Amino acid sequence: MIVHDLLLAISVSLKTSGLAALIASFLAVPAALFLAGTEFRGKRAVLLINQTWMAAPTVVIGLLFYSLLGRSGPLGRLGLLYTQTAMTVGQVFLILPLIIGFSYTALRQVDRRARLTALTLGASPRQAGWVVLREARFALLVAVLAGFARAVSEVGIAMMLGGNIRNATRNITTAIALETAKGEFSNGVALGAILLVITLGINVLVQVGLRSRD
Amino acid sequence: MRETAYALEGIRYAYPGSAGPFRLEFDSLRIGAGDMLALVGPNGAGKTTLLLILALLARPSQGKLEFFGEDPWTGDDTAVRSRREAVLVTHHPYLFKGTVFDNLAFGLKVRRVPEAEWQSRIKEALTLVELSGLERKPSSGLSAGQAQRVALARALVLRPRVLLLDEPTANIEAGLALRVEAIVQETCHKMGTTVVFSTHNFSQASRLGDEILYLSDGRRVSFSHENCFSGTAETDGRRSWIEPRPGVRIVFEGRRTGHLTCVINPAKIRLFAAGDPAAGNGPNVFAGRVTRLEITGADLALVRVSGGLTFRVTIPLTEIETRGVSLSRPVLVRFGPEAVELIGSGAESRDNTHD
Repeated sequence: MIVHDLLLAISVSLKTSGLAALIASFLAVPAALFLAGTEFRGKRAVLLINQTWMAAPTVVIGLLFYSLLGRSGPLGRLGLLYTQTAMTVGQVFLILPLIIGFSYTALRQVDRRARLTALTLGASPRQAGWVVLREARFALLVAVLAGFARAVSEVGIAMMLGGNIRNATRNITTAIALETAKGEFSNGVALGAILLVITLGINVLVQVGLRSRD
Repeated sequence: MRETAYALEGIRYAYPGSAGPFRLEFDSLRIGAGDMLALVGPNGAGKTTLLLILALLARPSQGKLEFFGEDPWTGDDTAVRSRREAVLVTHHPYLFKGTVFDNLAFGLKVRRVPEAEWQSRIKEALTLVELSGLERKPSSGLSAGQAQRVALARALVLRPRVLLLDEPTANIEAGLALRVEAIVQETCHKMGTTVVFSTHNFSQASRLGDEILYLSDGRRVSFSHENCFSGTAETDGRRSWIEPRPGVRIVFEGRRTGHLTCVINPAKIRLFAAGDPAAGNGPNVFAGRVTRLEITGADLALVRVSGGLTFRVTIPLTEIETRGVSLSRPVLVRFGPEAVELIGSGAESRDNTHD
């Protein structure tokens, strides 16, 4: 595998999975904040469905979106199949329940007095919500990073919705699958190591950045 | 005429979504601007609920509340704006993660106070609570007493019109408690801040409060919850009684049955030296020893007598000597059946209540 291909695969992985983690976080954290701060009928069922959804195999999500985005599917005319956008959309759905679940747990663990204290000091309900998020920021960050890790390491969705097209939708995991199929096991292992190093680097950078701000 | 900070009329409060009885019921309450009001009552009396209502954090289910002449509940913005005038320091205050400075700056930030002022105001507030130089200390590294004072400084730095304190000295040692009392008193008098604080401590309430509001079971009562006893009432038709402890009977007037709670006004209890025949043989005479003797700020002594039951009695300072009251001394306490006030019961007849 030439260096150019390798760099492109890394770039596709970071772009699609990074964007998926970002979009999923914007959806999941407010949802978790709502779930953690509100009691309503059916909340347990919602949490149960979310937990079940966490275990959904990547190929099943891939298959679901394949049938939606395929030429004969209801969203086929959008022409998204075998694009990076399709990979991102699929990954968002993969990691959404994971980030909701982790964030919900993180927010439930914030001292209940935090919100009340913010309100007593004159914060508006929205500002008090931010305080709760701020108090849980490390745990929320772990939730987002876990989501990113799940997205960047999955292969089913990337393969089914991206199609493993060279210089277009091939990312690290689909490249590993290809190298393995070709019998180039050492290349596969090397790509796996690169994936881990990238994930480690991102984790370290974000944690260090957050701690220095604290 | 002095401005009115709070005017409450026909206030009823039940927890949101609760089908149960009202947690708090007040026909009327007026708190003057610059006043210091003490709320005294046992756990569950409604002190914290009233403070949350006064802090505009809980909206009354019924009734009318005016805050400096305005209805704060006309809209969300009005509530937030009014809430910024009344700061509540909760019981077991919570400090945000970060430094002491971050904690004190929070309220200034949400009020959009110019950042140039923060430093001096925070320094001033920390000096007031004797914690100068602690700005950069992480809040997680503070002792309970320091945390309590940081919470107080966090409220004082905002220079609120109303300071609401939920048991401000409950978690700190006695010496520090006196210092906190002094700070609160100084703030109230010097800056004209209206202060409402809750306490279990009757002597603290008398020392600090311009006025004392006694609460029991979510309602205003005419005197302290001190001497509060519960039991199942029995009656002989003319009088009734409860036995808070087996064999120890408190007799009161009227016919009552069922579980009930009664209180005896500490001022209506008389003290006698042990063996004094003047105590008589009637009902409600109890022997005990003086286990606490405290001078309150109102020329009164608060005496705790422990025996089969524990009573708190207030007597004028001048009578301490004439009645032979001193620590560890055996004494008799006596009160008439008419001094027993029944509160918060669901028994069938209420002919003995006089609140």
